[in-house]
Amino acid sequence: MTNSRQRSSWRELSFVWPLSKWLWSFALTLFGLALVTFAMTRLSPIDPALQLVGDHASQSTYEQARLELGLDQPLPVQFFRYVETALSGNFGQSISTGQPVAKDIARTFPATIELATAAIILGAVIGLALGITAAMRQGTWVDGLARFVSLFGYSVPIFWLGLLLLLLFYAWLHWAPGPGRADVVFQYTVKSVTGFALIDTWISGKAGAFRDALAHLALPAIVLAFHALAAISRLTRAAILTELGQEYVTTARAKGANLRRIVFVHILPNISGTLLTVIALSYASLLEGAVLTETVFAWPGIGRYLTTAMFAGDMPAILGATLVVGASFVLLNALTDLGVARLDTGRKR
Amino acid sequence: MSIITSRAKLLGTVFSLALAFSAPAVHAETPPNVLVVAQSIDDAVSFDPAEGFELTTVQSFNNIYQRLVQSNRDDGTKIEAALAASWEAGSDGKSLTFALADAKFSSGNPVRPEDVIFSLTRAVKLNKSPAFILNELGWKAGNVDAAITKVDDKHVKLTWTADVGSGFALSILTAPIASVVDEQTVSPQAKDNDFGNGWLKTNSAGSGAYTIATYTPHEALVLQANVNSSDKPALESVIIRNVPDVGARRLLVEQGDADIARGLSADQIEALKDKSGIKVLSVPSARQDYILLNSKANPTLGNPAFWEAARYLVDYDGITKNLLRGQSSVHQAFLPNGFPGALSDTPFKLDVEKAKKILADAGIKTPFKIEFIVFNDQPFLSIAQSLQSTFAQAGITLDIQPGVASDIYARGRAGKFEMTLRYWIPDYFDAHSNASAFAINKDNSANTVAKQAGWVIPELTDETLAAVKEQDAAKRAGLYQDLQKKIQASSPFVFMLQGNDQVVLSDKVKNYAQGLNADQVYYDKVAK
Repeated sequence: MTNSRQRSSWRELSFVWPLSKWLWSFALTLFGLALVTFAMTRLSPIDPALQLVGDHASQSTYEQARLELGLDQPLPVQFFRYVETALSGNFGQSISTGQPVAKDIARTFPATIELATAAIILGAVIGLALGITAAMRQGTWVDGLARFVSLFGYSVPIFWLGLLLLLLFYAWLHWAPGPGRADVVFQYTVKSVTGFALIDTWISGKAGAFRDALAHLALPAIVLAFHALAAISRLTRAAILTELGQEYVTTARAKGANLRRIVFVHILPNISGTLLTVIALSYASLLEGAVLTETVFAWPGIGRYLTTAMFAGDMPAILGATLVVGASFVLLNALTDLGVARLDTGRKR
Repeated sequence: MSIITSRAKLLGTVFSLALAFSAPAVHAETPPNVLVVAQSIDDAVSFDPAEGFELTTVQSFNNIYQRLVQSNRDDGTKIEAALAASWEAGSDGKSLTFALADAKFSSGNPVRPEDVIFSLTRAVKLNKSPAFILNELGWKAGNVDAAITKVDDKHVKLTWTADVGSGFALSILTAPIASVVDEQTVSPQAKDNDFGNGWLKTNSAGSGAYTIATYTPHEALVLQANVNSSDKPALESVIIRNVPDVGARRLLVEQGDADIARGLSADQIEALKDKSGIKVLSVPSARQDYILLNSKANPTLGNPAFWEAARYLVDYDGITKNLLRGQSSVHQAFLPNGFPGALSDTPFKLDVEKAKKILADAGIKTPFKIEFIVFNDQPFLSIAQSLQSTFAQAGITLDIQPGVASDIYARGRAGKFEMTLRYWIPDYFDAHSNASAFAINKDNSANTVAKQAGWVIPELTDETLAAVKEQDAAKRAGLYQDLQKKIQASSPFVFMLQGNDQVVLSDKVKNYAQGLNADQVYYDKVAK
């Protein structure tokens, strides 16, 4: 009895130790991120007080704004004051929107997550399909097409592509709705509960509103997906081609397995860890917010929030948004590592 | 084969899903009782009239709040009644007594003298960006309580210490910061002595045609008709959508998904001009673009001969006709057309030979180089490039250094620049708003544009202060003409352009009104 209890507590500990180690490095990463962001923002030539009050304001208004923003304090004091506010969970108040940063993030981040998730699903599915097909038919026109698509996706400016798609599908063909997250008819009749337009419109029970939200999501998601699938298809193709030269493939071939079986049964499980990492990295970069896409499609995501905050020298908003994006980046990385490890053990078994 | 089929199926499914969902969404026109405006609202900081000083918020105030008096929509020089039914100037020339009209706030509360007192005193005490406008009357946090008093339930009296006439005081009261807020609604929202500033940043408590229904930063400002207003609007709501990309804005108005689009570039206006279903409204604005020289930067920049030569090195016609195409016109004095006393003659044109001669006669040796700091934005960069090419013809190299606005302002305040391109928008509808910027700098004590130019002008300062005191309107206009002529002839400012706002409207939009000054945007009469 005593023995087994001891054993179970040991087991718990063996779980607790790596977790606390991970949490420690997580906290350290965020602290480092905050420090670097703070230093970079303060080194930029933007004067947040002057940005806020404008050039016509009186000297006394300007001095008052500096005082209110705490800019009269030495830099280390400013930094630790900020860390204190961030730790209390609300990240302080944004200078440029006049709202609590936490509230701003709760509004903008779901918009970005929604777009990034739709884009990565599209991008991963199409990218994998394209990469696999290209590798299996290396040198044929299919391969050529896949390589062209991936090169195009890499090199075409996303801003231009967004406007082009809007022109084609919105202005000319009238298949897609215009920029924005929802039609004006629905935007203010559907209550924002989660901040995710698809979920909010779904629970509102209005079929038209849900369809409208989905339609608005389509074009920006396709633009971002195109960018993501370029990387995914290229790496999938390259990974499969490398594996095709391995001894185990030759062995399988000698045993009479056809190409399809080799790729799907032997190669894909072997490279699944790599593919997962590539997809996760693409997803993470989408979560940072795609500023240009968000600008063209009037998508109120965290990328634009962060950019406008940077131009305003809005320190609380910059730090808050960077920390949240950074934290999700680190979390996503950890989840990917876990996923890759599981895939590896699964394969070994 | 089978893989190709499955791939095709997959792609087919994805695309048809995306398209199937988007196909039924073929544009709805904007709802008949709603006005949809596409513009950028990224600049908005505060919808509190005591604080808001950005284009987006300033353009909203006439629709949400009322002031005691207001500028006439068509002729801003005329001041007309708003919340005040009538007013009387005191015999001392330093007071005004207003009789309040019967009006109600959106809450249903009546507009009382207490609301006027609360609104003006809080604006002075909060001391936010536009507070300097009320400071012109000598109102400071310490004395404003005594300056604004209740006479009886219908009358309120304003007194001031500054040496200015009642005509000028009325002009000051037409500024957005003089908007009257509902004290009974705002006071309970006050926190930490902020006079309800935190709450009013995103809410409204006015008597104007509309109230703020919701404001989502970087997303939209939604205005709802104020049923209690004496100024009842024709439409139920106005949605001002943030569409940061001008290309997307153009598409929205072209497709009928927006009724009004603002801030389009000259190229886009050109392309939209002849499209059916939309019209381009061209409204002169009081905005002016000018070159600011720092006369303290070096002896050449402080030499009046160089200031004069610079006036002949600007391709005024080229800039207005080829670059800004209808978005600006040539204007060379510090008061914009539409302000009383504005000088409209344009004595300068591009004349490189003349400029060279002026420089040579003054013994200024060419070639030389000037550091030219410019807002990293259009149209400033295009104008800067035009200047670069014309100055180069006289042997002057302009080294263009693009920068962010706050940095350029900070360098202006600190006197750490040589030459820069600026724009000026009057803060209230009175010549003094501009004159006090360009023609006051007695001893480098106040932050005026003349001070930023390092230009000490005690005599012009006295003339400017005399002009603001003058009670006779015609005489006053004459004084400003005289000031403008002096500054036009010799000053470290080169006035070049007056703005022209181009607003794109759907044909359905009727009765949209916009005036000369930045705050004069009116949605109340708009019908569809």
